[in-house]
Amino acid sequence: MALERCDVETWAEFGFIGTSCSPKLMVVSERDVFLCTGCDEIYVFSTRERKLMASKSHSLQSDGNCNVTPVLFFLCFSCRLSSSFLCADTSCPTELKISSKFLVVPEEGPLSLLLVGTELVIISLKAPHWALTRYRSQKQTVTNSFEMLTSFSLASSSDDNEERTVKRRPVLICVHYSNKTLSSACSCPPETVNDDHVCIDPLLFKLLFGIDAALTESPVVLCGLPDGCLYFLPLRLPGCRPRALYSLEEPVIFVGTSLDKSSPEHAQCLVTIGERGQVVLIRTGKGQQERGEGNNTACFLDRRLPGSLMCGCIVNNTLYYSIGSDLLKVDLRSGSLGKEDTSKKTEALHQSSTSLNVCRIIAVAELSCSTAGGEVHLLGLSAGGQLQRITTRRRTEDAGSSKGPTAQVGRSVRDLLSAIGDVCERASVLKSAIKSKSQVLKHLNHVINISFLLTASAKIEEHSDRKPIRCRAVTEWSRLLQRDSLNLTCVLDNSSPYALEQGWTLSICVSSLSYPPSEGGHCSSTNYSFPFQNVNPGETLEVSLPLADAGEAFFPFMVSCSLNFSLSSLLGAEEANCPGLQNSCINLPLNTLWVDWLHSLRLNGPEDALKKDTAQRNNAAADSIQAFINSHQFRRRGADEGRGGALRPERYSASVQVSSELLKNTKGSKSSDLEGHAQSRCVSFLEWLLSEGCGGVRRGHTGDQISGPVLHARGPNGHAVKLTAKEVNADPLLLQMESSFMAAVCGLHHAVLRRLQVRAHQNSSVLFCSALTSFLLLSPQHLLQQIQHHRVSGAFSAGASGTQNPQCIHSVYRDLRENPLIIL
Amino acid sequence: MHEQMSFINGWIQDNNELADKCRVRMLNIWYGQRKPLTRIPPLVDHAEVELTVVYNACLCSFANSRFSEAELVLKQAAERVLQMTGADPEASELWKSVLESARSTALTPSVQCVVGLQWAVWLANCQLETIQEYQLFSLSEGFSAGDGNEQNCGKDPAVPLPVMDPRHLFELLLICTLIAQAAEMLSEAQSSKALAVLQRASSLPAPRTLVAHTHILSGACFSSMNCPQMALNCYKEALETDPRCVCALYQSILVYRELDNTQAEIQALRLLHSMMSSNAESRPAATPFLSPTSLLPSRSLNRLLSVPPALSVLHCLAQKSVLHGRVLEGVEYFLDLLASLHSDDQHGVHAELSPLPRLPELYLEAGAALLMAQRPADCMALCDEVIGLTLELLPEKLVLEEEEERGEAGAVNPNEERMRMILWAGAAYLLQGHCHTHMRDWKQAVTHYTRCINLLVRVFFKHRDVVAKCGTSVCVLQRLKGLSLAGRGISFSQTERLKEALRDLQHSLHVLPDCVGAGLWCGEVLRRLGRKQDAAACWEKTRSSATPSSTESVSLYLLEPQSGPVWDSEELRHRIGSEQKGSEEDEQLPDVAKMC
Repeated sequence: MALERCDVETWAEFGFIGTSCSPKLMVVSERDVFLCTGCDEIYVFSTRERKLMASKSHSLQSDGNCNVTPVLFFLCFSCRLSSSFLCADTSCPTELKISSKFLVVPEEGPLSLLLVGTELVIISLKAPHWALTRYRSQKQTVTNSFEMLTSFSLASSSDDNEERTVKRRPVLICVHYSNKTLSSACSCPPETVNDDHVCIDPLLFKLLFGIDAALTESPVVLCGLPDGCLYFLPLRLPGCRPRALYSLEEPVIFVGTSLDKSSPEHAQCLVTIGERGQVVLIRTGKGQQERGEGNNTACFLDRRLPGSLMCGCIVNNTLYYSIGSDLLKVDLRSGSLGKEDTSKKTEALHQSSTSLNVCRIIAVAELSCSTAGGEVHLLGLSAGGQLQRITTRRRTEDAGSSKGPTAQVGRSVRDLLSAIGDVCERASVLKSAIKSKSQVLKHLNHVINISFLLTASAKIEEHSDRKPIRCRAVTEWSRLLQRDSLNLTCVLDNSSPYALEQGWTLSICVSSLSYPPSEGGHCSSTNYSFPFQNVNPGETLEVSLPLADAGEAFFPFMVSCSLNFSLSSLLGAEEANCPGLQNSCINLPLNTLWVDWLHSLRLNGPEDALKKDTAQRNNAAADSIQAFINSHQFRRRGADEGRGGALRPERYSASVQVSSELLKNTKGSKSSDLEGHAQSRCVSFLEWLLSEGCGGVRRGHTGDQISGPVLHARGPNGHAVKLTAKEVNADPLLLQMESSFMAAVCGLHHAVLRRLQVRAHQNSSVLFCSALTSFLLLSPQHLLQQIQHHRVSGAFSAGASGTQNPQCIHSVYRDLRENPLIIL
Repeated sequence: MHEQMSFINGWIQDNNELADKCRVRMLNIWYGQRKPLTRIPPLVDHAEVELTVVYNACLCSFANSRFSEAELVLKQAAERVLQMTGADPEASELWKSVLESARSTALTPSVQCVVGLQWAVWLANCQLETIQEYQLFSLSEGFSAGDGNEQNCGKDPAVPLPVMDPRHLFELLLICTLIAQAAEMLSEAQSSKALAVLQRASSLPAPRTLVAHTHILSGACFSSMNCPQMALNCYKEALETDPRCVCALYQSILVYRELDNTQAEIQALRLLHSMMSSNAESRPAATPFLSPTSLLPSRSLNRLLSVPPALSVLHCLAQKSVLHGRVLEGVEYFLDLLASLHSDDQHGVHAELSPLPRLPELYLEAGAALLMAQRPADCMALCDEVIGLTLELLPEKLVLEEEEERGEAGAVNPNEERMRMILWAGAAYLLQGHCHTHMRDWKQAVTHYTRCINLLVRVFFKHRDVVAKCGTSVCVLQRLKGLSLAGRGISFSQTERLKEALRDLQHSLHVLPDCVGAGLWCGEVLRRLGRKQDAAACWEKTRSSATPSSTESVSLYLLEPQSGPVWDSEELRHRIGSEQKGSEEDEQLPDVAKMC
């Protein structure tokens, strides 16, 4: 392969270009260069000023109702319109502010566009089809709005249904029919005659696009799709649909024309280039007479270039193409004339390629071509985001020999330096990739360590403090907007030797174990997740979450904590989008916490109980009314049933007897000081009940002082609750719970029993414990009789006194519970 | 509870603000986020808000013609209604149970609105049986009759506003359903039944366009029942109702064509053309949310309501005008047609294949019309253009196999295209020959006719006995051959080269026996050669076979030129008689050559 020297001059640095699909360079009248990267960014570069004039990133100045996704076509279009305005402004690069009034077509996801006269042709991907849509500007209106003419859907020939994202833009060019000279034939304004608009030989035009298109001198839009199909659409023929011209079976990267010197006014040859190196030359040829073909036919010459192509462009009759590692040029005349067979031609094209020794070019466009000096100026965009001007000389050898050796040396040094720069750039990219990968591996190692640690400690029993990573919690009442709510502050304790790094999420599931019948019998549970950044060894993470509102709480709550690690966070943003990865995560359960009635109690101080009470009542009028109604109901019900104490609101109570033995052991040193004083024993028992971090949860009200054996408190629903501890027969301690609210008594009873049970269970090694649930039953027969009686009367008077039944059942329950449970 | 209330109030406020402004796009986005509403427990108290939001959201989907999406939302809404009313949500007849459960409760109006939307979905999916099965007509009647309170609730901020008045919705649904039913019946040839349905529909309150549709459908019924006058009356009524209703005009053109009333047809075509070129601009949409077109997707209806594109109307008008004695007018239309083909802004670039002939044929037709209008120079210019285009593409030799089967539409057979190319170029040469004949430039005429013949003999047939079926390219080829030979024969006879003339004319008569000009001239040449008996026989044969050929079946440029001698049958008989009597009165007869 021949080598040729060329000058490379870097004009601008764009830095990293985040391209989702191939960038496009557009040279407008040798003065402005538009660079579209991805779908939503565009830069305007002035070749005269040699600097970046303006940039436009995707930020529509939306007026609220315009959330159009990237609108490349609109940007390009408006930029083209306003290019003259931009050039007048010589100040530093300005960010264009483009308001939605510039919006020409509110189409989503346009990939390529072409302006032909007053018509705008847009290609977009409406999977699984390509959509080619024609719009026409409305001249009578002042706004830029375009009116849609027609839309065609072109079947995508690629079977890859997964390939939803487009890596390459479709190529659009407009071919004009000319039997006159170039300038006069193309009726469009001169500034639009550029790469996108070409005039071809009339005969070739007729052969390719039909006689009808030629008769109307209709511009023809050629569209090369990433699936390899080349379509053509005459614009001025009524009822014409896009038709396939050829299929390359590989993504089309360039469609253009090659000029012959013999007829400089219009191109003799249409050239299409595919990504994998296929070059199709379309020209007129002689048909075979014996087959009855006409004088002239269109012939499609297939040639192949080695390697996969990044981009390409044709200047006169020379094809410049980049294969990533090098920029090459090939003369299309020498390689394509004659009638040898195809295999030979591939070689010929390969061997006639000349290397220009410029690497990493991802987009190239013709800047200018001076016919006198034989110099060709190309504009290239490197993968590193450099805008480069590449100048080649036609007669390099001759020019080189005529110049002195110093100039030659200087140039070769410059070439070498530029090559070194390129290699350096490549190396740094690779280095950073390796670094980020090892970072990910390190991170993954940490994660694996933590998961082993937690799975190993899963065998350690619950509620034990030996777990290296665990949660504890504090409940606290808060008042916001006149509503009381119980908040739970969860603390994640990391006592393991590993840091919990980014990617971990603390997820807490709160579920209520008892639930109202209105929920339909379904356990309601709420999930909270808290992603966090870093919790080093010995550090804690505190999160708080609303547990329940006053009046709507159904205790006890089970709070299960777990740690989640999402694998997708290990990878970058792009790989994480892979659908299979979305759900893959490591889930490690921590411990489970319990929040019960005792945690939710709000104490009334003994002396200011009244004061507080009234204050509370004033604050919450609704609560007081509710309380009043409740008490009233109970009173009436009591009266109806004819039981004693008709004037008092009915109070429910439950009691538990606890042996002092158990208490002694449970309370530890604190209780031992006060031993002997009956009063203080009771007080300390109550203190223990309320302050104990049972189930890993503590009450947050540290200021409460318990001064006597009788404790007045309010439950979560605002009901008054009374806890009384007293000594019976010197040894066992009797704890009595009273309230006018049945659920409160039951809940408290349950909570107290649970604590005692847990305590007793923990001390099982020290002390034999038996929960003696001996009831001194009045008379089982009597009870049975009572229940049966109620059932019968309920059956008879169903509906009439529906409310009475539960009341009766409760009285039976109370009779059962009246005889205190003794725990030794 | 409190939160829910404030949430719902917020929804009502947002909804009303948007509905007030009727901003479809914003509504769309907003309703797209309506998910949180489903988190509210299904309670009867919130039903109105919820159902109104569903109603508005679905109308927005309709505005973007996303019916399937709306159907899904409606199904969810129906299930929620069933939950609210406590009915069994698993019922197989979902909508029936919805209607049943909400009967005579506070929910009824909102539920009916939602059912109306489901109706629209069914209508858009052409499920007319379902609509009938559910007896939805009764629903709409209930709605349109007694609802006076729609207006006063509009101002109350606590009541969610619908984006479209439900009464209008039901009116629209009712008439569209009737129209769809009638169209269905019409396609099943139950015209009288359809007429009854249309009778009912035309009395309903509805937008003008839809009323016009009922009239058009009635017209179609009448024309299928062989009552063309009644049909014309209906179309007239449709036009009076909706002056922009071009399809009524088009349908009446078809009736006129059937009645063979050419003058009326041309009149109507002219009117249609002027209407189409004047109101090509976009029409204002009637309702932004539910357009009747999206509710009436029936194919049979669309076929009835479709109008050919403006250019083919213009072409038809031009052809008819030229053929029926309005040559000058027709030429103007042809020139208009060519100009608009060359202009950038053609109004209505239709995606469907237009019935326009290929462009070279249009050129040739226009050229023939120009020649008829005594403008041979212009005709020659047009022909030059066709020849210039095709010249490089003409094959040296074309061998035709058996009559090739027509491939699928769109697939161009290269041989067929080459054949067409030859025919176009040949026809262009023929027309140029006619032009020169018209200008009495006999030498040039002979040259052009010869070119035409040379071109035509490039086509060979593999099998000798190819039957030229009418309309096929072979038929056109034969016709061209006959006409060009006749033309050259006539030109030869004008330059007194009688032998060549006789040969050509006889060839021409062999190829195209019903060519009147060739027959007459053949007789004339025979007479001049002194073969009086033969001349008389030739004329006799021509007279007997001269049936007025159907001019419609062949293109304009394949018609015989009117430049030759025109003898009516009386004169011809006189001539035949005189030739048979003898040659003595020879000098008294008018010389044919002078007549041309």
